[in-house]
Amino acid sequence: MSVLQGAIVHVRESLAGTDKKFYIYCLILIIIAFLGLGGSITALAEGHVHSNMSDMVPWGVFISGLAFFIGLSAGATMVGLLIHGFGREDYHPVGTRAILIGLMSIFAAMGCVMMDVGNPFRAMKIPFLLRNETSMFFISSTSYMGFMTLLMAELIMTIKVTLGKASSKDKKIGKLLGIIAVPYALIVVHSFTGTIFGVVKAREMWNTPLLPVHFVTSALASGFALVILVTILTSWVNRKDLVSRETYNHMGIMLCFFLIATVFLDTFDYLIISYSGTEEGLETWHLLTGRYLPTLLINMVGLYGALAIVSFRKYRTPKGLLYASSITIIAIAAYRINLISIGQLVPLYHELGEIHYVPNIHEIAPFIGLVAMLMFLYAVLTKVLPLEDKVH
Amino acid sequence: MIKLTAIAGAGAVMPRPEEAYGGMFEAIAEKISQGIKGTIGKEVLTPLPVKGAKFAMVIDLGLCIGCRRCSYACKLENNVPDSINPPYIMVFETRYRPGQIIGVNKPVESHINGNGLLYTKLRKDRMYMPVQCNHCDDPPCAKVCPTKATYKSPDGIVMMDYNKCIGCRYCMAACPYNARRFNWSKPEILSDKVNPLVPVRTDGVVEKCTFCVHRTRRGRTTRCVEACPNRARTFGNLNDPNSAISKLLSSERYFRLKVGLNTGPQIWYLTSKKEKPMRWYKPVPISPDIRGLKQ
Repeated sequence: MSVLQGAIVHVRESLAGTDKKFYIYCLILIIIAFLGLGGSITALAEGHVHSNMSDMVPWGVFISGLAFFIGLSAGATMVGLLIHGFGREDYHPVGTRAILIGLMSIFAAMGCVMMDVGNPFRAMKIPFLLRNETSMFFISSTSYMGFMTLLMAELIMTIKVTLGKASSKDKKIGKLLGIIAVPYALIVVHSFTGTIFGVVKAREMWNTPLLPVHFVTSALASGFALVILVTILTSWVNRKDLVSRETYNHMGIMLCFFLIATVFLDTFDYLIISYSGTEEGLETWHLLTGRYLPTLLINMVGLYGALAIVSFRKYRTPKGLLYASSITIIAIAAYRINLISIGQLVPLYHELGEIHYVPNIHEIAPFIGLVAMLMFLYAVLTKVLPLEDKVH
Repeated sequence: MIKLTAIAGAGAVMPRPEEAYGGMFEAIAEKISQGIKGTIGKEVLTPLPVKGAKFAMVIDLGLCIGCRRCSYACKLENNVPDSINPPYIMVFETRYRPGQIIGVNKPVESHINGNGLLYTKLRKDRMYMPVQCNHCDDPPCAKVCPTKATYKSPDGIVMMDYNKCIGCRYCMAACPYNARRFNWSKPEILSDKVNPLVPVRTDGVVEKCTFCVHRTRRGRTTRCVEACPNRARTFGNLNDPNSAISKLLSSERYFRLKVGLNTGPQIWYLTSKKEKPMRWYKPVPISPDIRGLKQ
């Protein structure tokens, strides 16, 4: 029996006896993905002519998506560190799921880049045939490939351990990968993603050395929030808690720390902008408190609200954490939108007048299609792969 | 996506599927081939950099009458399609008289009333300011380009290699002068209007002013300099002390845009007042539908 046949048999066996609701869920995701990705094929053939991006606002929803999804991948590394670095065995049931979430997030980020660039086939030559070592885009995209490889290796090792087929060497490698992934993700992946924007001295809102730090803290908050959210939703679907109440409490404490750092940076970021006397600073503040007030409120009220929930032990329950993690993810998405959009909406010349950008259906549809496709992939993989909670 | 191609009588005539999708598949196949081969259309050889030269341009704001002939000539010379709007050279009409204090509390209000780019009438009491690629000494666009599609030539020209551009638009986000243009759609230029010395671009790549490299490296001046009816523009070699540009810069007051960013822009603006014979020239109209700007 060939490998392919073996894989097909395994998939069939894994899906045997699956609830009908699962297939309906998958079907809905496939339809959304099909419709959305159809839009990206049109964009590939005709260019981004139908989008609302312009020479004044060259980066739209896809680059916001890149910054957001890269952040979401941080959860995987944190869970890996908790298990392998700090010996928190109670996190084991979510270990493989966290790695899968990390991988899906990285795929989403790479997908956003590929849908955004004008010539994705040529972009695939990076970093082998085309490269510029001074470009943060080059460094970041190369680091994403490294991160993807690292997470894949970690996934294989975790599966081996789960199946009980891991030798002591495999276990050591798995542990090492789990620990290495943290500095790699934080120092290389997230910091350099922040640096993509931080080095742009033409845009005052972006050009700050604090941006990489901000990307690290917000990545940790949103990434860990996503792990919590998936843990709760999986427990809810399976009608069985994946982790104990004590682990939920610990998850809440972890999220609390990440939120404190993010809230601190966000608050002082906005405070400094409000005091800015430069023309660009004033314009940025005007946009933040004008056209972008809803996203500013979602960002700030959301972060403070989530922080308030996880600060109290009595709210660090699955229900409380469900609210806190959802709000955190939405609040950080709002921050990413504010950062990327407003950074470009401040005109580089007075005389250009008011610059506008609101993503239209030609940008949003492929974006949603990509997310649906990866949610489908995640759903299938969690069925097919031997996860800890299924095996034990 | 199926497109409605014509409406006949009471019913809509829809194209056959192979017609509707054929163009799309061809376009994607073309993109794949461009990605693999790395070349776009007919290769046009660019002359080699001029040894020992440092090209720059002086624009005399005292002489600029805002007629936009430079912008229009540049567009024709460099095969810039209509879909690229504004063209490489934007001409601003300044609304403030010298010495007037702009309200520092709400500078935003000045943006709301209209667009300094879209004026209709030449006025002697206004200043006109053409802006374009500044061919910086330390170009942020070249630093951030992930593929080295943008690079600084030894003779000072910031160049584009369209065969390397992946269309990530990082250079556009990084350029402080808003000098770069992206081909959001496939550029269409009538074949009899194509300048064979300049490569025709495709959709998905960024383009910009090249100081008319096909002319200047062959000893000629840029097309915008030739087209200016009031000789407001001077192009030349800064390393040559006897060049017109060097003499102008040693004798007149000048400024450069956003020098605080330390990019070393090589468009120098002269500021002394001069008599402008404006009544002889009518402005070349520009299309008002600029993407992203509120009209």
